[in-house]
Amino acid sequence: MNSRTKLGTLGLSVLTLSALVAGCGTAANTATNTTSNGTSGTQNASGTVDLSKASGTVVWAASPIAQTGIRKTLISEFEKTHPNIKVQLVELPNNTDTNRQSLATEIGGGATTPDVYMGDVIWPAQFGQNQLAVPLNKYLPSSFFNRFASGLVQGASYKGNVYGAPLFVDSGFLYYRKDLLQKAGLQPPQSWEQLMSDAQTLQKKGLVKYGFVWQGAPYEGLTCDFMEYLTDAGGQVLNSQGQPTIDSPQAQKAVSFMKSLITSGVSPKAEVTFQEAQSMNVFDQGNAAFLRNWDYAWSNSQNPADSKVVGKVGVEPLPTFGGPNGHATIGGWDLYVNPHTKNLNASLEFINWMTGVQAQTILATKYSEIPTNAAVQNDPQVKKVNPVLNIVSQVKLVSRPSQTPSYPQVSQAIYTNVNQALSGGTSVSAALKKAQQQIQSAVSGNGGL
Amino acid sequence: MTSQTEATPTSGSMARTVRRSLQAPERRAGYGMLTPGLLVIGAVTIFPILYSVWMSLNHISLTENGFAMSFSGLQNYSLVVHSGNFWHSVWFTFYFAVVTVFLELLFGMLIALAINGIDRLKNLSVVVMLIPWSLITVISAQMWGYIYNGVYGVLNYLLQSLHLIGAPITWLGSATSAVIAMMVADIWKTTPFVVIIILAGLQMVPKELYESAYLDGANAWNTFWNVTFPMVRGSIALAGLFRILQAFGMFDLPYVLTQGGPGTATQSLAVLGARVMFQNLDFGPGSAVAVSTVILVLALSLVFLSAFRNLVREGESE
Repeated sequence: MNSRTKLGTLGLSVLTLSALVAGCGTAANTATNTTSNGTSGTQNASGTVDLSKASGTVVWAASPIAQTGIRKTLISEFEKTHPNIKVQLVELPNNTDTNRQSLATEIGGGATTPDVYMGDVIWPAQFGQNQLAVPLNKYLPSSFFNRFASGLVQGASYKGNVYGAPLFVDSGFLYYRKDLLQKAGLQPPQSWEQLMSDAQTLQKKGLVKYGFVWQGAPYEGLTCDFMEYLTDAGGQVLNSQGQPTIDSPQAQKAVSFMKSLITSGVSPKAEVTFQEAQSMNVFDQGNAAFLRNWDYAWSNSQNPADSKVVGKVGVEPLPTFGGPNGHATIGGWDLYVNPHTKNLNASLEFINWMTGVQAQTILATKYSEIPTNAAVQNDPQVKKVNPVLNIVSQVKLVSRPSQTPSYPQVSQAIYTNVNQALSGGTSVSAALKKAQQQIQSAVSGNGGL
Repeated sequence: MTSQTEATPTSGSMARTVRRSLQAPERRAGYGMLTPGLLVIGAVTIFPILYSVWMSLNHISLTENGFAMSFSGLQNYSLVVHSGNFWHSVWFTFYFAVVTVFLELLFGMLIALAINGIDRLKNLSVVVMLIPWSLITVISAQMWGYIYNGVYGVLNYLLQSLHLIGAPITWLGSATSAVIAMMVADIWKTTPFVVIIILAGLQMVPKELYESAYLDGANAWNTFWNVTFPMVRGSIALAGLFRILQAFGMFDLPYVLTQGGPGTATQSLAVLGARVMFQNLDFGPGSAVAVSTVILVLALSLVFLSAFRNLVREGESE
């Protein structure tokens, strides 16, 4: 009897454990529904809603923007002008994939909150396809969308519907150490080859430990970096028919150059484990001459609490293999509305204000984000405070191939294989061949297996 | 448990009747008390498992009203079985589990013997040893991430100060060293669990056995091999089984430490399942990965159970 009890216990533990494994398989309906005491959306004749009388509570889920205080500042400014609406902030994690995971399970499971969430610019196709976001154009007049800088609304659209309101734009830039270049008598590099040799010069003179840091870990950020080299070399991930074209001489050139940065010692070997935070840290500690990062890096590098290089940093468009200016991947975050929201009016009014002049000016001047509101983007007063804005117009922006709902699989195929090539686990051509195959099966809908 | 009834000096048939009449109501009460617990287990484990199985047999799309399912038979499994990515994860998960569990049992045994052998500070040793086990994996994985960091990592600093390496090594940057680094982190974390179980077994070994072994002139090795080991075999088997099962569900360590990289070198089955399901929102194929994992774990645990059954029984009969 004794041994049977024990076997029973074992059997039970097997079951429990398999449940843990299988737990992933259930739609985690764990979202807690805090009731928002708002009025529901009343539509007027034209199909759009009247926002002037909106009231209630808006639950806003967002990850930290650049610095932690920024969301609270925006909320309190909003509440000052909208005494009938309360905004409740829900923290989301920094990592875009973890973010999507929690939002997709909550909203997919039917949760009514968050009412508004901040989501990546690469989500509209996937979220539109899966009905995780409200098509905003159904409720907001077309005049609403005129405020945004050109191309942004199109980027937030999928199959003719606009799923996100662009909140701020991110784009890749090259940050450099003014003081070091000056000491060595160098100009900020215009080409990638120049960057490499400048970096080597600085390293040989013993002025700095590493030449150039960027994002090489197997995650979305590597796809962003890769897109810049690839587009600059004249390549594409998908052609106009949506078929993969990544196994190309241009991609070969792009990845080979990225790899040579590491093998030449210009970038640390640890580059293949770097996300934004790690590369930013190395640069802030004064251990790298060049940094590829998003616009937040400007204010981050000028914050004496984290940075040893305050006042020593310059910023310019990314270098190029040939053309006058390099290419920069476009990133950034949109505001989306939960289709199950009980408080559509207040949610839309919140979005309306957040993309308006006041909020956008706060974002641009205090936190060096690129505003999406065209009027703010072109305001000379704003440009004076935010040096990143002065060069935005020179940057050739590159979109990731996120118009397909299977973009996450496409991106996984890129970052896992490129990372493998960078770490020396496989040859560049073998990695690209494998990426090509995986993208092929991703766009034919195999779930990324 | 049955020792009381068996100890009564009656003839065999009478003992049986007595036992039956005594036990029938007790048994009913027992089931009654078990029911609420079983219901909870049913709700939180059996139902999700069956639901995953159902999901894995459907084509699933998310809509405004939740999941829209349409039955698609074994289509998702066909995707899984024909995916190189899946089999790569199976192989990684398998050898990672086997190597780490073997080493954990070995180290666990040694540490348990050491702790069992000391008289002073025994409790303190147990507490100190339990620290790694009590840390949340997400935190300890982050910690190991700092230790292994290729730029400012402590490990490189130590090795460089000792002049063992010239330049810093990116431990998580190449497939082999990343796998080994992750094994070290896993062994560090879960060996204490094995120690606790084996230590419990060791403390059950009657002192008389050691005394008689001593009197018979057995040396330390003979005592271990002929007295200690047979007595704790059951505990070792139990710890091993638990660890194997846990190792197959490993998610947090690779997710935090390497994101499955470099490339897909440390992508465990659970990480793959989470990617398919929650990044790609492909719930059908994702469920198929999860269910396939369960089937593999069940098959494996049946093999281990039959292999360990004798060990467990022998370990108990003493």
